[in-house]
Amino acid sequence: MNTLIIGFILGCVFGAILFLGGASSYRKILGTLLLKDMTIIKLMLTAIGVGSLGVYLLDLGGLANLSIKPAYVWGIVAGGAIFGIGWAVSGYCPGTCVVGTSEGKLDALFTLGGALVGAFIFSLVYPTLDTWLLQNANLGKITFVDLIGVEGIYLAIPFSLLLLALAFFVLKDRYGEET
Amino acid sequence: MSDNPILSWKVAGVALGLLLTLATFLVKPLGVSTQFVVTDAVVAHQVAPQFAENNTYLSKYGEKTDWSVGYGWMLVLGMLVGGGLTAVVFRDRQPEADQGSMPAMWVGQFGASRMKRFGAAFLGGVLLLFGARLAGGCTSGHMISGISQLAVGSFIFGVTTFAVAIATAKLLYRSTQS
Repeated sequence: MNTLIIGFILGCVFGAILFLGGASSYRKILGTLLLKDMTIIKLMLTAIGVGSLGVYLLDLGGLANLSIKPAYVWGIVAGGAIFGIGWAVSGYCPGTCVVGTSEGKLDALFTLGGALVGAFIFSLVYPTLDTWLLQNANLGKITFVDLIGVEGIYLAIPFSLLLLALAFFVLKDRYGEET
Repeated sequence: MSDNPILSWKVAGVALGLLLTLATFLVKPLGVSTQFVVTDAVVAHQVAPQFAENNTYLSKYGEKTDWSVGYGWMLVLGMLVGGGLTAVVFRDRQPEADQGSMPAMWVGQFGASRMKRFGAAFLGGVLLLFGARLAGGCTSGHMISGISQLAVGSFIFGVTTFAVAIATAKLLYRSTQS
């Protein structure tokens, strides 16, 4: 099947999961960031736990189309920090602002518009940033599988169990604790 | 009406993990933030082709010969359609606190000004995509897909982003925190 059609169908399911799981909810995102409502972090830990197992099971059979992003440390730390501020201020991330917009939420639409502007501003300063943030301390497209040098699944199994244990047994909502 | 999301985090989390696995098998892992650049590039190539060609970042995307509206862009279009259709079908079951453009939690802290909420949402969006492009990914590409693949850079992104976002949220809501 055509990859465009596959992309569209996968996207439909992705959007539906984010909506149904409450990921496009300001209340749920800020609840997570204030460390009171663990719904979204538990959803993410479960997704990564299952995804990590799935991806490295595929890889075991040579069937995974992996896509590893390069680890240029300073660019990622700076970008991650700016992203974190934007996430807490808007209550959305790039994917959930798309879903929020599809629900007819105007604040999500403003985040979507801001995101297009943010990407444009980045394109203007990219040549400058490229030399001192993206080229320096670039470790390349490495994974912990490369670093440790074992078959991926042997790392994915304990990692997955750790995340699922965190989600299912450790993290608890902390509403109603304050006086 | 329940105050909880329609799907529990367990079901939504497992479904998202399986979706990521399927995507990795069929084409490649999930990612969203690149597609904002693609959209900008496609528009720029239409409105100001010379500018778009001279912009070293935009010229990598959305060229006239290859619109770069590929798998990733269709994925985001699908999110818009799939999210929208699901929202229409399940509207009655969405918790009331999660509906509308003015979250009650925001109004309680910052007031009912739509200008203020929409301004913050816009500014947040600018920071989100500037940060995501600098880091090379966002919640989907770095955190969900990248950490699942055990990528070192994605762990760095996840830790930094959560630390800063938690600190920012605590600062914004400091007066209501015990």
